[in-house]
Amino acid sequence: MKKLLFLYLIVILVAFSFFYMMFIRGSETERLEREVGLKGSMDEKYVMVNFLTGIDYWKNVLKGFEDAASLLGVSIEYKGSTQYDVQEQIIVLEQVIARNPAGIAISAMDPTALNEAINKAVDAGIPVVMFDADAPESNAYAYIGTNNYKAGETAAHKMAELLGNQGEVAIITLLNQQNHMERKEGFVSTIITNYPQMTVVATEDGKGDLWSSEQAAVKLIEQYPKLKGVFVTEANGGIGVGHALMSEGKVDELEVIGFDTDKGTLDMVKSGVLSATIVQGTWNMGYWSLMQLFHLNHQLVEPISTQQNTGVAPLPIYIDTGVSVVTKENVEHFYVK
Amino acid sequence: MFSKWFQMNNWSIRDKLIIHFLLISILPALCITLFISWTVSNILEKQSNTHLLQLIGNVSKSLDVQAGSIQNISYFISMNQDVQHFLDEGSVMLQEDEERIRLHRFLQGFSTLYSEIAGIMVVRNDGQYLSNDMYARSNRNLAEEYWYHEAIAARGIYKIIGHPVNRNVTTHVNYKDSEIVSVVRAIQDPDSGNTRGVVLIDLKLRVIAEMLGDVKLGKNGYLLVVDEIGDVIYEPPYTYSFVPNQYEEWQEQSSGSFNVEINKESHHILYHTSPFTNWTTVGVFPMRDTLQAIKEVNKYLVLFFFLLCVIGMTASIYLSTSISKPITKLASMMRKVEEGNMNIPLLSDRKDEVGMLGDSFRHMIQQIKKLLMQVKEEQLKKREAELRSLQAHIQPHFLYNTLDTIQWLTRKEGADEATEVVGALSKLFRIGLSKGNEIIPLVDEIDHIKSYLIIQKTRYKEKLNYSIEVDEQCTRLFVLKLILQPIFENAIYHGIKERRGPGNLSLHISIHQGDLRMVVKDDGKGMDETRLLNLKRALFDKTIEHDYIATPTLSRGGELVGYGLRNVQERIQLTFGVSYGISIESELNQGTTVTITHPILTQKGSDQHDESVKGYHS
Repeated sequence: MKKLLFLYLIVILVAFSFFYMMFIRGSETERLEREVGLKGSMDEKYVMVNFLTGIDYWKNVLKGFEDAASLLGVSIEYKGSTQYDVQEQIIVLEQVIARNPAGIAISAMDPTALNEAINKAVDAGIPVVMFDADAPESNAYAYIGTNNYKAGETAAHKMAELLGNQGEVAIITLLNQQNHMERKEGFVSTIITNYPQMTVVATEDGKGDLWSSEQAAVKLIEQYPKLKGVFVTEANGGIGVGHALMSEGKVDELEVIGFDTDKGTLDMVKSGVLSATIVQGTWNMGYWSLMQLFHLNHQLVEPISTQQNTGVAPLPIYIDTGVSVVTKENVEHFYVK
Repeated sequence: MFSKWFQMNNWSIRDKLIIHFLLISILPALCITLFISWTVSNILEKQSNTHLLQLIGNVSKSLDVQAGSIQNISYFISMNQDVQHFLDEGSVMLQEDEERIRLHRFLQGFSTLYSEIAGIMVVRNDGQYLSNDMYARSNRNLAEEYWYHEAIAARGIYKIIGHPVNRNVTTHVNYKDSEIVSVVRAIQDPDSGNTRGVVLIDLKLRVIAEMLGDVKLGKNGYLLVVDEIGDVIYEPPYTYSFVPNQYEEWQEQSSGSFNVEINKESHHILYHTSPFTNWTTVGVFPMRDTLQAIKEVNKYLVLFFFLLCVIGMTASIYLSTSISKPITKLASMMRKVEEGNMNIPLLSDRKDEVGMLGDSFRHMIQQIKKLLMQVKEEQLKKREAELRSLQAHIQPHFLYNTLDTIQWLTRKEGADEATEVVGALSKLFRIGLSKGNEIIPLVDEIDHIKSYLIIQKTRYKEKLNYSIEVDEQCTRLFVLKLILQPIFENAIYHGIKERRGPGNLSLHISIHQGDLRMVVKDDGKGMDETRLLNLKRALFDKTIEHDYIATPTLSRGGELVGYGLRNVQERIQLTFGVSYGISIESELNQGTTVTITHPILTQKGSDQHDESVKGYHS
């Protein structure tokens, strides 16, 4: 009987030592992907939803979004309306929500029309941030973008400087779009309060389109012979106005301040057609949008709660990506090297 | 010492059985376990290989699809009327607002639909270009760039440039060279075959990264994409410093696998080359990933094996004990019997072979016990008979002396007949005593019976006639003493005396069939069948109690017959065995024949029985 017990003991000991050797010690295999810093997975899909997806303006935003995704090791998708059509954007957004992505960054074409869809996403537990164009009444967690009112102010001060604080100016903008309206208001109120000798004589709709803006500029030039300056709140519009000036031969007579820094705009600034352009932190918009979404998705922020329940914002609710003025003097820096 | 250990015969049956059971339970279990482990690891390896190859094939396919759609875009662009117009006339046509904007919108359409495209550019063969988002860094002629030449060399066929470095082309958004893959295709004049321009499409590498990053190769594997010369198009940030262009293997086949050693660790490489893009999708994963799965299987196998060991050990020990224990018990019981303890306990009521063995053994012991008892009894009986005959001798001794005196007196008085009778009587007694010897010469026995007959003759006168005939060869033999006298006595009292007229008695002694044969025949009254049967039963039936000798109350009217004959029978059989003794034949009014069968004894001491008898008397 003692012998038997001894034998059992040996068998059990051998078994244990074997398992120890094989599985306790063997399991200490190092993983290839070291968990350093913030690290997501390729399964997480963050979606950027905007409108007029093909325009150059978004390319920098998307680049920021992509760069952040590369750093965090997550995947992204770029969606939005192909046309300047709010219904299309809503449909696209609904489609995106249905696929339950890890986060959505939205640039709203209309400040209110998207609220319902945005709230639906937030209710579904999808982190949503707004960039570039806000929808202030929605439940989105944050807005990352240019303080458009301030951008308008900046443009107004530059315009005043260019015109010697006097003369008639006009605005070509995108009506019904929050950010453009804010730029316009910032511009207008600054002119009114700071520069009494200047007047804003007209506000035209450029429809965010080169051709429409050109037409609008031609119309303005014909309508207001004393017009000294034009502020265009949008990139394509700036180029359109530039073309109008060239075709009308009024390049030297009008000071035009454009917006954004696409190749065409920069070329026109360089050649002097446009006097200046306002540059936004577009890359930052994309980059910080993804960062915020990532933080929300991974619940890296304190308090971990939703805005709706406690009223405490888990993230900075507003990030100003800033603006600066590009003129002929510093335009070279804005070209890609 | 070991040679001794290996001598199986010295092992106990229990140890042998244990070893046996362990061998037949654990050895096959071990073999099966090893075999399963081997098979499973083979299958797992093969399966994971096929699975991964399929996976990589799929990735390669989706890369093809991606490349295909880019190719289509390049065709679509080259087919556009405005682009054709640009190729015809150069940037002069861009002066026209309407055409310029139409082209802009056309190209913008692609960036609207394909966010993975970083930029599209159409370059004319004189270096003039058309693009929404790309432009030349410097004034260097784009048509002289290497990618332009590569596109021309490909003669209208789609060409991927994995590492578009040092191009005089940049995008407005500033995608770095490392972030894009370039696709070029020459637009050829269908008639002349001359190259009219090149479509350049920059694809974001990110798309490939997402495609590959989605695929998990085990725990630690990863995918990378290599172009036709082995340069890495894309690889994830953490790698095993696997340098693909060191290996030639994938030049030979479009897909397959091989093993390499990286940093002293074995890695498995799976690859699939797409004939469309000429890119090879390569999966790199450490062998220990596969081993992990095999290990998992082995874990259960080992657990199973140890469990089997424990069960096998328990079972083998239980079984061998159940077999060997009764044997040991039986052996110890046998040892006890060997030591003389016949009173063995009853074995358990098992029905197996060991139980049967035990039963047989017990039966045997019982038989031995019975035989021992029988021997003891026989010895006792023999002694009793001897004692009785001794007792019978003592009185004749005294009589003998007295008779001698009487004979001497009668002779002195001159009474001759009395002298003869007394002499015969004296002789009778002397031979009857015969110094206590149980075996006497046959002549003495005949003298004895003659003396007896003389006495009887004196009494019965003419009524009794007798004859004694002894074969010559018998005269020197020895016989058990006083075996004839009781028979003669019977013959006289029950045969001759009961008969009317004179009767004859005869004794014939001869050797018949190797035995001494004494036949006593009378022509007296004889016996009827019933009586003869009774007598025979008294003589031969062993079942009648032994002590009837002491109290001969058995036969009615023939008590002495029973006693005398029985005594003779007993003595002969006790001395020489049951094959000797008396047989009787009789017929009413015809006479009786008694035959004694006696062994031939050539000398007194030739028989052991005789010795023992002698020893008893001395």
